[in-house]
Parts: sequence; structure tokens; C-alpha cells
Amino acid sequence: MKIKVNFSNLKNHQNFLFIIRSIEEFLQKKGYLKIDLPVLSPFLIPESYLEVFETEFRYFDKKEKLYLIPSPELFLKRLLVEGVGSCYYLGKSFRNSDSPSSLHSFEFTMLEFYKLGAYYMDIADEVLEMLREINKRLNIQMPKIKIKNKNSKLIKDEQTEISLNLDKWEKISVKEAFEKYADVSEKELFDHQLFLQKARKKGYQVDNFSYEEVWSQIYVSEIEPNLGKNGYPTLIYDYPKEFAALAKLNSDGKTAQRFEFYINGIELGDCYTELTDWREQEERFLKEDRERKKLGKINYPIDKGFIQALKYGLPACAGIAIGVERLAMVFLGFQSIDKLKVVDIIL
Amino acid sequence: MKINAGNLKKGDFIIYQNEIWQVQKAEFYAPGKGAALMKTKIWNVKTGKNIDITFKSAEEIEIIEVESRLMVFLYKDNENLYFMDEKTFNQYHLPLTAVSGLDKYLKEGEKLYVYIFNDVLLSVRPPLSVRLKVVKAEEAVRGDTVSSAKKPVTLETGAVIMAPLFIKEGDVVIVNPETGEYTGREGK
Repeated sequence: MKIKVNFSNLKNHQNFLFIIRSIEEFLQKKGYLKIDLPVLSPFLIPESYLEVFETEFRYFDKKEKLYLIPSPELFLKRLLVEGVGSCYYLGKSFRNSDSPSSLHSFEFTMLEFYKLGAYYMDIADEVLEMLREINKRLNIQMPKIKIKNKNSKLIKDEQTEISLNLDKWEKISVKEAFEKYADVSEKELFDHQLFLQKARKKGYQVDNFSYEEVWSQIYVSEIEPNLGKNGYPTLIYDYPKEFAALAKLNSDGKTAQRFEFYINGIELGDCYTELTDWREQEERFLKEDRERKKLGKINYPIDKGFIQALKYGLPACAGIAIGVERLAMVFLGFQSIDKLKVVDIIL
Repeated sequence: MKINAGNLKKGDFIIYQNEIWQVQKAEFYAPGKGAALMKTKIWNVKTGKNIDITFKSAEEIEIIEVESRLMVFLYKDNENLYFMDEKTFNQYHLPLTAVSGLDKYLKEGEKLYVYIFNDVLLSVRPPLSVRLKVVKAEEAVRGDTVSSAKKPVTLETGAVIMAPLFIKEGDVVIVNPETGEYTGREGK
């Protein structure tokens, strides 16, 4: 790996910091309390789909494992239980095994905020207002985004340019999106066997792969490229319960109160109505932990204190995590997050 | 040979839907739900078509060892380009459709890397730049001082590109053969 200095990005970097300031001023004006947090923790929330960085604290002959946090959730929810109220963290988070790319960096700036007494769609309103505020402060026309010509399958084909309108969301449920963009019916979407059959028919490799794996592949191949490209940012909501993570389930029992939002095909944020039922959360943790072990991922201790905190009582709330470099990249019209960095660690 | 899609890298040749493709871009992608994926852009060596394909990172992909060999470009006709391997003096042909317009910037007698598999040419590896002489260029209009203005010029291979106004007949220009863009003028 190398250290790369990109001094010519200094202006972009300043704009990135300006966006961070705009976000913070907006949140504070809205009554969110800023919290700074450790980035090293002895325990983490088990999440099977990501890998972490492991390090060691040494004093004399004692050694203790520590892990860089992939998100501040385990700390913020403890504070919510204590009664901190609506709050946010804006700082570094770390995800291992994400090889650096135009949209990924293993070390990145995450904004995570929680609103008390809210459910996921309330956060959607807040986020949209925040996007408008950033745009207003940048005082520039939103970057022209490229729209793929609907009649063509090739990315190289003609592209039409339009500007982004932040007056409202384009809202689409996961169910509707699979129907519309991937020709997968509601019945097929929620029935694992039917789903895999359909995927095979579409030409995907399904043998020895799970529903979750094939689902992700179709989502990324056929759904994501269409999101945030109709002139408005897209909010895609109600993911199958397999992707509930820490989100509350809907009353249909099949979907979770989770949304993600996209601009120009790029995922920018992930929101849940937070699961407050500790029993269900513990079950999900154990399942995720088993999955991690099966995948041979770093075997960190489950954060039992998190379940203890939930037992004490997490107030009803909703929260969102937003990748700040990606958000800034989109607002500043860049194709890659590297453009925001003056010092970068590259492969 | 089969490898996991997670190990694909730029430049690899793969078999996908019974055709040979070269990986142009391979980016690891962890969407934060479900499994990690490999987002790729692949290029069909036969048709020159680019497509985006997302693989599961654990998916097995057939890769093939394609040789890249230096050959002399002899000439072209309406259907094919003809090459010669200078070591064996064997001649090979390659359909024009496999080079997607690159032939407009190739000079006879030039040495180029070609991709060859099972003794059949698949494609030409596009050079980063080619140097070609300008055979026709109109005088720039006097008084036109806009430095970004461009005019069409004709190159020795017959291709017409847009070049800056100061380019004259006899100049040697540097062109990106994949896009046909003027990138510079050779110093005198």
C-alpha cells in the first residue's frame, strides 16, 4: 500500500469540509445533540456482511483485542437508553475487505443520527430537508446527472442530462422495484425457492448460493442502476426481512422498516425504524454470529451489553447512516470519492 | 481454469455466456446487505461491446490464458485486417468488427500487440496513443483567437479528427485511437 498526496484536491477537500459543517449546523438547529465516540471497541454488533479491523492493546504482558468500529450504533443506542434524546455522530468508521474503489474506502466518514419517537419515514423528511439545506449553502445548481437512455441496455449509449430536483422523493418499495426493473413478482420475491428458480431462468448462477446472495446480485445488477435517475432522489423501502438487520419488521411479517436512498444510482444512506425488542435482536445477533463463523470472518465477541441496554428499554426511535464522502461526491459532481482527499492510502 | 469472481482483475479474459470477454474494470462492492459482489465492466473481444456485469464474489468464473503477441499490421481490406508474426512469418486475419473503428488509426507496417487464443486472433490491444501525419488541414481563420477552438484535419490513414487551429499539414499529431481524440503534437 502507498500514501498518496493529492494536493490539487485541496479545493475539493475544503468543499467536502464545508458540506460537513452544513450538515452539522443543520442537525444542531434541528435539536440533535452532537456526540463524539471511541473508534476502538472490545465488542461489536455481529454483522455477517461486513468485515472489521482487529488490533491489540498491550500493557506489560497483558493483551486485549480491540476492533475498529464499522458504525457507531453500539454506542449511540446505549446513550439513547440513558435518555440522551435525538443525537448524532459524524466521524470515522472502518470496514475491512472493502477494497478501495470509486465508492469505497475502508476508512470513511459516517453520519449517523437518531430521532426519538420517529419512524423511518419521518427520517426521510428530515434527510430531504438536509439535502436542500446543503444545496442551498453550496449555492450551486445541483450537478447534472446522467440518465441512461431507457431503450438501451448499453452504458455507452446516448445519455441524457437532467438536473436533480430536491422538492420530493421518488418513493418505490423493494417489491415494486423488483417487479418494475427485474420482472420478479411479489410471490417470487418472498418465496426463496421461487426466487432462486426465477434467478436461474434469468441466467444467474444459483447453485450453492443462498437467497440473500442471489438477491443482492440481482438488486445490484438490475435495481440499483435505476435508482435516483428520474430527476429526484429515490427512496427505496421495505426490504425483505432477511435484510432487516436492526430494523423493526412491518406488520406483514415479510418486510422490515428499512429504506435506503439513492442519487444517480449511488446508495447514500440506510435507515431503520429501530428494533426495540431485545429478544428478537438477540436472536438475530446469534444468527449473524453463526453466519460470521461459517464465513470464516474475524471472530469478535458479541456486544452483550447492547442486548442488556435494549432490555432496559430503547425508546422508540429511527436512525440513519449516511456515507458523507459519497454524499459530498454527488453534490460536487465527482465520479469518485478520491477527488475529496488530499492524502489517500491506496493499494 | 476457474477462479472466484472476487479475484477477477482488469485485463483478465473470461468466458461468459459462451463468449470471450476481457475485464475492463473490476470493483469489489459490499452493499451492506447480503453478500459481497464484484462489479465488472467486460468487453467482448469479438464485437467490441462493453457491458456491466455484477458477480457474486464467490461465483466461479472460467478464465482463459490469452496471449498478447507483437505482430506487424500488413494491410486491411473491406472485411479483415491482416497481421504477420515476425518470428514465424505466419499470417493471421482479424475481422474489422473486432476492432470497433480502431483500424482508422492504424498504419500499415506498424507493430501492434494482438490477443491470440488457440492460434486465432481475438483482437488488437489498443495502443495508448498513435502518431500520425496530418495530410490535410485548412488554414485557421485569421483573427480567431479562441484557443480552445478546433478544426477538422485529415490524417495519413484517412481518418478525420478535430485538432487545435495551429495544426498544419505535415505536422505529426498524437491521437488516442480508442476515442479519436487529439492529445498532442509531436515536437519538431
